[in-house]
Amino acid sequence: MKFSIYNKEKVVGYLFILAPILQFFIFALGPLIYSFYASFTDWDGLTQPSFIGLENYKEIVLDDRFWKALYNTIFYMIGIPIGMFLSIILAILMNQKLRGISIYRVIYYIPNISSLVAIAILWQWIYNPDYGILNNMLYKLFHIQGPNWLYNTTWVKPAIIIVTVWRGLGYSTLLYLAGLQNIPHVYYEAAEIDGASSLKKFIYITLPLLTPTSFYIVVTTCIGGLQMFVEPQILANNGGPEYSAATVVFYLWQKAFINYDMGYACAVAWILGAIIFVVTLIQFKYANKWVYGMD
Amino acid sequence: MLKKFKKALSLVVCLIIFLSLFTVININNSSVEASSKIKITWMGFGQPHEKELYTKLVKKFMERYKNITVDYICTAPGQEYGMKIQAAMASGKLPDVFYVPPENLRAWVDAGKLLKITKYVKASKEINLNNIWPQAISRYMYDGKTIGKGDIYALPKDVGPFAFGYNKTMFKREGIPLPDPKKPYTWEEFVKICKKVTKDTNGDGKLDQWGTDLDVNWTLHMFVWSNGSDWLDNTKTKVTIDDPKFIEALQFFADLRNKYKVTPTAVQGQSISGYQRWLNGQLAFFPVGPWDVPVYNKLKFEYDLIPPPVSPRTKKPATWLGSLGFGVASTTKYPQQAVDLAAFLSTDREGQRMAYQMGLQIPNLIDMAKNEYAKWKEKPNNKMEFIRVVEDYGRRFPFEYTYDREWYDTFYSGLQPVLDGKMTAEQYCKQVKSKIQKLLDKANQKAKK
Repeated sequence: MKFSIYNKEKVVGYLFILAPILQFFIFALGPLIYSFYASFTDWDGLTQPSFIGLENYKEIVLDDRFWKALYNTIFYMIGIPIGMFLSIILAILMNQKLRGISIYRVIYYIPNISSLVAIAILWQWIYNPDYGILNNMLYKLFHIQGPNWLYNTTWVKPAIIIVTVWRGLGYSTLLYLAGLQNIPHVYYEAAEIDGASSLKKFIYITLPLLTPTSFYIVVTTCIGGLQMFVEPQILANNGGPEYSAATVVFYLWQKAFINYDMGYACAVAWILGAIIFVVTLIQFKYANKWVYGMD
Repeated sequence: MLKKFKKALSLVVCLIIFLSLFTVININNSSVEASSKIKITWMGFGQPHEKELYTKLVKKFMERYKNITVDYICTAPGQEYGMKIQAAMASGKLPDVFYVPPENLRAWVDAGKLLKITKYVKASKEINLNNIWPQAISRYMYDGKTIGKGDIYALPKDVGPFAFGYNKTMFKREGIPLPDPKKPYTWEEFVKICKKVTKDTNGDGKLDQWGTDLDVNWTLHMFVWSNGSDWLDNTKTKVTIDDPKFIEALQFFADLRNKYKVTPTAVQGQSISGYQRWLNGQLAFFPVGPWDVPVYNKLKFEYDLIPPPVSPRTKKPATWLGSLGFGVASTTKYPQQAVDLAAFLSTDREGQRMAYQMGLQIPNLIDMAKNEYAKWKEKPNNKMEFIRVVEDYGRRFPFEYTYDREWYDTFYSGLQPVLDGKMTAEQYCKQVKSKIQKLLDKANQKAKK
């Protein structure tokens, strides 16, 4: 076999990505296959599993807690478009030649790298209905008596959405900022010569050219959002009032590690995995309809 | 080109062989070490002051047993420990000694993860079983069917008597005669005092002092048990929450807020916790666990212990008695040494003294608790109440008897409307009973396997 330059590059490339690939085969593939098998078993996570066929899956269909957790998880997705909208605006603001712009960029990125426990304590304080800053502001500005955010079945989900949007804002803003800086200036100059307004430039140049970034953000945040666990877990005790804050991952964690239902939890995980797969597939299928630069 | 690739490949292979050499050398090293020195690992969780205590005790243990090295791993309290220990169980890499929450005992024993330690305990010179609370040991005894019978599977780290406290300063200020700890208040008397102290003290039109503010998860038991009822029947196979006495107790608990109005309202209650209000000196009554004592002793007001209020039906107090145990892994290579360590951590006199003086717990040693500890000058004065809880009226949470606690958690997860007065206790208990029974059946089926 003759090695062309192309082939040599290929080999080097593979060598570079060998570490994560090996990592996947050694640490992830085995558990992945095993969990698929385990989802067909009655297994407490301690003793030997016993094969029960589709029983777990049948039970999940009739399990109102699972459906409630799934509904909550999907509800939390409302945060994705809100977060994207806000981060585009922020990215545009941060793309200006402002004094101390790097300080702003750092500030908006801090929530993303902060300890979740610290964030939980901060927001629990903000949401406190008696002395919390949020209800205080609502009262002082609009004379509205704010709700009891984290202990109210109606308000706990919006409260958690606000936290996740706030937390993810820095990351997507950074991506949009990179996207913005990739747009060649000549387009804007050409549009200016044609007499386009700032709004028109934004709608006809900026937004379309940012669609690859938007696509990336939609796909990754959907996957991440469907796997949401930590925020509801630490902000809302035990799944929240009447389980109104629990997510699918929270539910499967509870099943696996509190109630010794590891087999059942594996089945929940695979159903979630299938949902994520389908959602991502649909996104890719329809990507060419709105993502600029995709075939 | 091919040559270069071969070169690169052989380099990678060399590297792999070189790295694997290290692991071989390591394995050899450890086997050499093991023959001369015994290494025991023990894993627990805890706050920094607990970690400090056990680090000292481990050091003392190693001074006594020169041939044993103890590797102490301390995780953060809460769920992290549970997940770590389950992962260790699944992979067969359990530490030699580790914490066993009593609720997990059945599952862990049935799965063959815990060592039967009865004979090692008897052989250990570290421990005198007669001087440890039998109420603590019995939680870790199991014969394959019932908790409290058969072999010992763990030694107590502590017992946690959840006693009741009152704000002495407030009683004096309001001109209420101080309670007699030997004669508990009846529910009626309790409500009467609560009503008397619930008021607006600064005249701003808002209440700022209440009778009490109890967390349902930790204190509903005081009322249910004292009313002669329980969550489960004696066989632990039937849910009994539709028993009229159970319903009555739950309704009384909810009425404290909604009918008698002696606790903060639902909204007030969730904004500042009862705990915080007690610390602020705004409540007349509140539970006190030994672990609370260091914080409570720094408060600006005087407090002391009394038995919780009693139901007119039984006139007997009841409360929760918690515990945590030291278990030994069934896979340990050194069972006797591991049990010696567990026994040492559980009962070393100096360690127990340090533990109570740090405010971690009451002593596990009966003689020390009843003499030295009861006479200790620190508040609360009536420390004997803690001991009465242990010996007389403390009980285990109902889920400690069952294989898992899903049934119990489900009972609590829908309780809010009752506490808010939007649903009666009777409606709730009757409506949710069959669902909870099903979950209990499921848990019991797991146990039978």
